[in-house]
Amino acid sequence: MVRPPELLEDVLDGIDALLVFSPSGAYYDRAKDVEGADVVVVAPENAVGADEFVELPLAFDDVKERIRFGIEGALTEGVVDDGDELGCAAPLFGDDIDMVARTKVDESRHSGIYDLFANSRAEPGVIRDVFEVAIELGKKGQKGEPIGALFVVGDAGKVMNKSRPLSYNPFEKSHVHVGDPIVNVMLKEFSRLDGAFVISDSGKIVSAYRYLEPGAEGTDIPKGLGARHMAAGAITRDTSAVGIALSESDGLVRAFKNGELVLELDPEEY
Amino acid sequence: MPVDYTQVADADFRYLFAAVVFFTGIVFGYLVGRVNERLLRAMDVDDAVEGTTIDQMARDVGSSTVSLVARLTSWIIYAFSALVALEVAQLTVQDAVWYPIVGFFPSLVVAVVVLFAGVLLGDKAELLVGERLRSVKVPELTLIPLVVKYSVLYVAVLIALSQVGVAVDALLILLLAYVAALILFTAVGTRHLLTSAAAGVYLLLRQPYGIGDRVAIGDHEGIVQEVDVFVTHVEENGREYVVPNHLVFRRGVVVVRE
Repeated sequence: MVRPPELLEDVLDGIDALLVFSPSGAYYDRAKDVEGADVVVVAPENAVGADEFVELPLAFDDVKERIRFGIEGALTEGVVDDGDELGCAAPLFGDDIDMVARTKVDESRHSGIYDLFANSRAEPGVIRDVFEVAIELGKKGQKGEPIGALFVVGDAGKVMNKSRPLSYNPFEKSHVHVGDPIVNVMLKEFSRLDGAFVISDSGKIVSAYRYLEPGAEGTDIPKGLGARHMAAGAITRDTSAVGIALSESDGLVRAFKNGELVLELDPEEY
Repeated sequence: MPVDYTQVADADFRYLFAAVVFFTGIVFGYLVGRVNERLLRAMDVDDAVEGTTIDQMARDVGSSTVSLVARLTSWIIYAFSALVALEVAQLTVQDAVWYPIVGFFPSLVVAVVVLFAGVLLGDKAELLVGERLRSVKVPELTLIPLVVKYSVLYVAVLIALSQVGVAVDALLILLLAYVAALILFTAVGTRHLLTSAAAGVYLLLRQPYGIGDRVAIGDHEGIVQEVDVFVTHVEENGREYVVPNHLVFRRGVVVVRE
């Protein structure tokens, strides 16, 4: 006769570190003194005051994505090393932790998502807000029709100098920031316009209607993506901005950094 | 001033009357206490004082701040009605003793209430400031919430003492010196921040230059990356200059157009 917890023992046996996703304070208090493994908290904010903490900027609905992000974060922060065995405890169905998983840190699968948020010029919160706007746009579209959009976030001064206006700038002399409540509606209306949105490091919407003119040589993006994605890839190669593109044809949100595709998200999954 | 009750009735009636006064007082006090508790809860005072030391102390003895305050008002009325009843029954031996005390009673109550409110307010201010500063991880900053708390307490004690008629002139002068020093140091310390903010408001309203423009402010020439209330970020060749906005006004700004 075995008790159910004993069946799961080998899942967490011999792990080097335990990633705990969004734990409650009481759970963390129980977990922090666990023997033989480091405890790393992965959560939107460090509410439990953990020493080793990885910020989760997006509410990944897919647990696999969330765990991959957590691992990349822990790897980038130097909390875990390549080849470490990891245990993960995360909430899956409810708000409390209700699943455990085991995985291995594999540096070759490093995609740079964490790097996109943590080491970009723009503030992580701004990138997250832009992602949220893009996901929202992707979900709802404009009057039911799918729409495309391109946001260039960070390094706005340089981006402005590598682009030209297609028409008057509707954000001239305005002080709108992404994350302001009114922005979703405004961007939805303006995304009908052609061209890119330029957003500064602190989240101020500098301009809409920009035609990007970066040098596109050497930009390596997957074949089959259109001009919008090519422009996004190219501008991030020329500047230290992050490009976030919503595709009109397949409805996916893609992020580019240093001329490379870093992250691909399906808005329907959020 | 003593009132002569002998004309009203004889001794038996006086005792009866005193008993009626006393019990009315008890009932009245109890009711006022209950209404007070309801009122305080309706005004969400119990939420507002949660986590302060007084509230924790009240919880330790199995009560709460709100019911303690309500109990206190009840007891004040009980005591008062007992005094009146004694007076009515003419049981006081030396009535002269009571009057100064009874006359002193209201200001004592006010003093206690002020002290109580001061302690609550101080605790609350300490919590608020502490929460604000929590994200800033500088250990020395834990001093600031304490300073705020004791400043509030000091003022409360001052008001309470002046209520009960203690000479507080020296303490008042100390308070004035403290406030004057605070204002002086803030003004001197944040002079540049204030002038920068004033200039920043102009820059944000009029936007003589915007993000992407090439400008020269003083010795720094580059592309504007960010303008906020206090500073302008100017970048050139991988160097980002953070220029305080008051410099924009003092040194002037050159907008470079190619």
